[in-house]
Amino acid sequence: MMKILAAGVVPLLLVLHWKPGAGSPLPINPVNATCNTHHPCPSNLMSQIRSQLAQLNGTANALFILYYTAQGEPFPNNLDKLCGPNVTDFPPFHANGTEKVRLVELYRIVAYLGTALGNITRDQKTLNPTAHSLHSKLNATADTLRGLLSNVLCRLCSKYHVAHVDVAYGPDTSGKDVFQKKKLGCQLLGKYKQVMAVLAQAF
Amino acid sequence: MWMSKTWLVQAFFIFITTESIGKLLDPCGHISPESPVIQLGSNFTAVCVLKEKCMDNFHVNANYIVWKINHFTVPKEQYAILNRTASSVTFTNITALSVQLTCNILTFGQIEQNVYGITVISGLPPEKPKNLNCIVYEGKKMMCQWDPGRETYLETNFTLKSEWATEKFADCQTKRATPTTCIVDYSPVYFVNIEVWVEAENALGKVSSNHINFDPVDKVKPSPPRNLSVSNSEELSSILKLSWINPNIKSVIRLKYNIQYRIKDDSTWNQIPPEDTSTTRSSFTVQDLQPFTEYVFRMRCMKEDGKGFWSDWSEEASGITYEDRPSKAPSFWYKIDPSHTNGYRSVQLIWKTLSPFETNGRILDYEVTLTRWKSRLQNYTVNDTKLTVNLTNDRYIATLTARNLVGKSDPSVLTIPACDFQATRPVMDLKAFPKDNKLWVEWTAPNESVRKYILEWCVLSDKLPCILDWQQEDGTTHRTYLRAPSQGPMVRTKKVGKNEAVLEWDQLPVDVQNGFIRNYTIFYKTIIGNETAVNVDSSHTEYTLSSLTSDTLYMVRMVAYTDEGGKDGPEFTFTTPKFAQGEIEAIVVPVCLAILFTTLLGVLFCFNKRDLIKKHIWPNVPDPSKSHIAQWSPPTPPRHNFNSKDQMYSDSNFTDVSVVEIEPNDKKPLPDDLKSLDLFRKEKSGTEGHSSGIGGSSCMSSSRPSISSGDENESAQNTSSTVQYSTVVHSGYRHQVPSVQVFSRSESTQPLLDSEERPEDLQLIDNVDSGDNILPRQQYFKQNCSQQETSPDISQFERSKPASAVSEEDFVRHRQQQISDMVQSSGSGQLKGFQEVSAADAFGPGVEGQGERFETVGVAAVIDEGMPKSYLPQTVRQGGYVPQ
Repeated sequence: MMKILAAGVVPLLLVLHWKPGAGSPLPINPVNATCNTHHPCPSNLMSQIRSQLAQLNGTANALFILYYTAQGEPFPNNLDKLCGPNVTDFPPFHANGTEKVRLVELYRIVAYLGTALGNITRDQKTLNPTAHSLHSKLNATADTLRGLLSNVLCRLCSKYHVAHVDVAYGPDTSGKDVFQKKKLGCQLLGKYKQVMAVLAQAF
Repeated sequence: MWMSKTWLVQAFFIFITTESIGKLLDPCGHISPESPVIQLGSNFTAVCVLKEKCMDNFHVNANYIVWKINHFTVPKEQYAILNRTASSVTFTNITALSVQLTCNILTFGQIEQNVYGITVISGLPPEKPKNLNCIVYEGKKMMCQWDPGRETYLETNFTLKSEWATEKFADCQTKRATPTTCIVDYSPVYFVNIEVWVEAENALGKVSSNHINFDPVDKVKPSPPRNLSVSNSEELSSILKLSWINPNIKSVIRLKYNIQYRIKDDSTWNQIPPEDTSTTRSSFTVQDLQPFTEYVFRMRCMKEDGKGFWSDWSEEASGITYEDRPSKAPSFWYKIDPSHTNGYRSVQLIWKTLSPFETNGRILDYEVTLTRWKSRLQNYTVNDTKLTVNLTNDRYIATLTARNLVGKSDPSVLTIPACDFQATRPVMDLKAFPKDNKLWVEWTAPNESVRKYILEWCVLSDKLPCILDWQQEDGTTHRTYLRAPSQGPMVRTKKVGKNEAVLEWDQLPVDVQNGFIRNYTIFYKTIIGNETAVNVDSSHTEYTLSSLTSDTLYMVRMVAYTDEGGKDGPEFTFTTPKFAQGEIEAIVVPVCLAILFTTLLGVLFCFNKRDLIKKHIWPNVPDPSKSHIAQWSPPTPPRHNFNSKDQMYSDSNFTDVSVVEIEPNDKKPLPDDLKSLDLFRKEKSGTEGHSSGIGGSSCMSSSRPSISSGDENESAQNTSSTVQYSTVVHSGYRHQVPSVQVFSRSESTQPLLDSEERPEDLQLIDNVDSGDNILPRQQYFKQNCSQQETSPDISQFERSKPASAVSEEDFVRHRQQQISDMVQSSGSGQLKGFQEVSAADAFGPGVEGQGERFETVGVAAVIDEGMPKSYLPQTVRQGGYVPQ
């Protein structure tokens, strides 16, 4: 019962924390969308998105290394097996799509990653309470992802009038054992590193 | 259960109390508004409404209301009676920040009673905050600050609000200590525009600043570059390479830099052109530097596009450029000794050192070559700046090069003409004139081309010889000035004392002397004082300023003078200390020693006078268990044979001796007794002739207490507080013969005296008499009353006299008799002898033959009839009084 509750509540909380993408999966509804922002989006929004992607891409590898190092063996010596980017249900990305499509896909990916990173951060604070550097890096990455999500939403809203995008979330780790938590986190960060390289190139 | 009861009781009590107070404090009316906050300069109206009940009680209505502001009655003109119960008061243009306004009523026509009071607070609404700006210190959270505008005189809260286009952040509440800055509690997220504004709010209003919208990355103040290092190049003496580690924010933004450098001893920074450092990098090579010169570098960085803030300057780093060969040939000249010997002439080659900017390194030595026409080369390596050689009368070519680690300078070439050479093209129209505080020299150049000129000069002085100085000028010039020092000496302190300071300085380098330094002048002054000048000979490199004031800031500068003028060095300041070195110790240590010494003296004094101190501190109660009246039985009862004075001092009187046996406290050593007795003897001089009461009423009453210890003496003196053990009146007072000799037994209820209780002690006397050995107890032989001519009523001090007599004249005489080789006649010597003896006798019981000496003393005392009041301690002779 507790596991069910935790499995349901934690992602919900995380999503609520992630206000831009909160709630249930939202369909793209460009027609009757009420796309209100607190203030106008800046003109250099795409430049900012590119900078954010570059920033995330620039730190992704370091975060990945920091993560699997902090988990200890067998992770550092079994990266292919344990940390391969085998993440199910990861939102797709099509680099050759239109900007709007790419932005929508980017939104889904960032929302997915943001939630997953939240889970990882929560797990690591329990599993590796003294790995402050990793916690700090995870928090900083989550903050940047949050900013990226805001920018993408602002762009979708202001230019494409897309107010709602349905998003999917990764597997919840709260009910899993320690090793599974570590493994899922490592796989997610491996995927994160991989997808960020693609995204940084795509915009 | 018990707890709940307690709570109920408490609640009931509080309820009752509140009700009572509410009734007691029930006012007669109230003022509306209750707690007004009004704007400065505005109008204000308050209304006081009286209660009906109160009005009935006091028979008043609104007409009886009196308004007061800060205890001053408000003029009636400002009142308005609204109805029977209400009165209003109006104030215009309120300027006070806080006033007390009270509503009062006049009861019984004149008694003013307060009805209600309020405090009216005035202020201003907040102004719109201006100049809102934010800064993001790298690695820290964003801080915003603003100008709050005018003073509101009210508590004004500022709230920093911020939001993204899609999300709001929590408000940032300012702290009371820093009302114009706020640090947000979330980490800055770069590349997302944030909108920020400030809301100011107080009781009179709320206002927002303009919103500012920015990307936090454009407000970054990076950390300064770190680990700045400088390295030189052996290949290029004019470059230094800087390396550093960029701040972490370099991973997010591109950076540009400011690089500044200066020569180590210079204070002016030079900056690398910003366009050369406008891109992200981690090293930079600085060019066009002087060889063999130490440079100091520092740098800072900021976002490449110029948005944001410059970082703080990095820590400074220094490096020395590599050496280069001397860049200039030294000035070169010669002097010829006019005396000729054997076809040779002595030539002194002289040259001047290069400036540091010209040496490009450390000059190792100079190389001089001399070439005579078509002869071989003569080489000299010289460390000095002169070389004396003997040359023939021929013409010579001399060359001079300065050498450092890297290479040689260009040569200076000098022709030393032959002895018979006649200059055919002398410089014409040479003239000198002062101008601009310089001595200028001007000449007309010859028609032919000139390679260089040499100016020679000396000071014309009656006191000084003509010491030639020289300087070299280019061949193209025809006017120059005699160069005074171009730089003043840098003075510094070598040692600073309370009233003096030792200044020292370095000799000026030759290249900046521009002549001979004739003297230095030191100018020094305090901040408020006049400047004082001191001239110092040029040979000195240090000087002591004396008569300075302690704890004072002095400014010193130094001027070096040549004949052509002087040049100030930089000003130097120093502060004289408040105390000289060791002064504090010199004060503290003697004081401590004095305190210690005084304490020691005090302790010693107290130790020596402990009996006296003891006497003054607490009364002595004699130990009755240690007292007794010894055997005493005058052979000739005085009541049957009162002697005249003469008789009293006759030889027959010798037998008329009353004996009082005194048993000393066994635990108390004799020396102390003697000391105390001596003390009493001294006191006696002040108390002689005074009756001491019962205890001292008779010589015969001199009992043990007077002898055995000073404490007991005191007890005897204070008769009212002591126990009288026996009172024996043997003679009258001042020749008054008592009618009856009284032998009275003390009425004391104290324990029986030892002698009565322990008759066996009496036997000891016999033992003493018969033996010369150790006295079991000290015995004193006391003269009869016949000696009590002046003071029959002997005080306890007088009763101490026997002991003191032992210590004084009589005993001395005894010593004179006994020890012929003792001090003979000198009073002081006698005293000394006495002291020695008494000291020896103080250990009486252990001294052999003491009993005999006592006996002799007793004889001496009796013989000396001119010595009244001589109570001599002595042992009882055979046949004398035997204690009964």
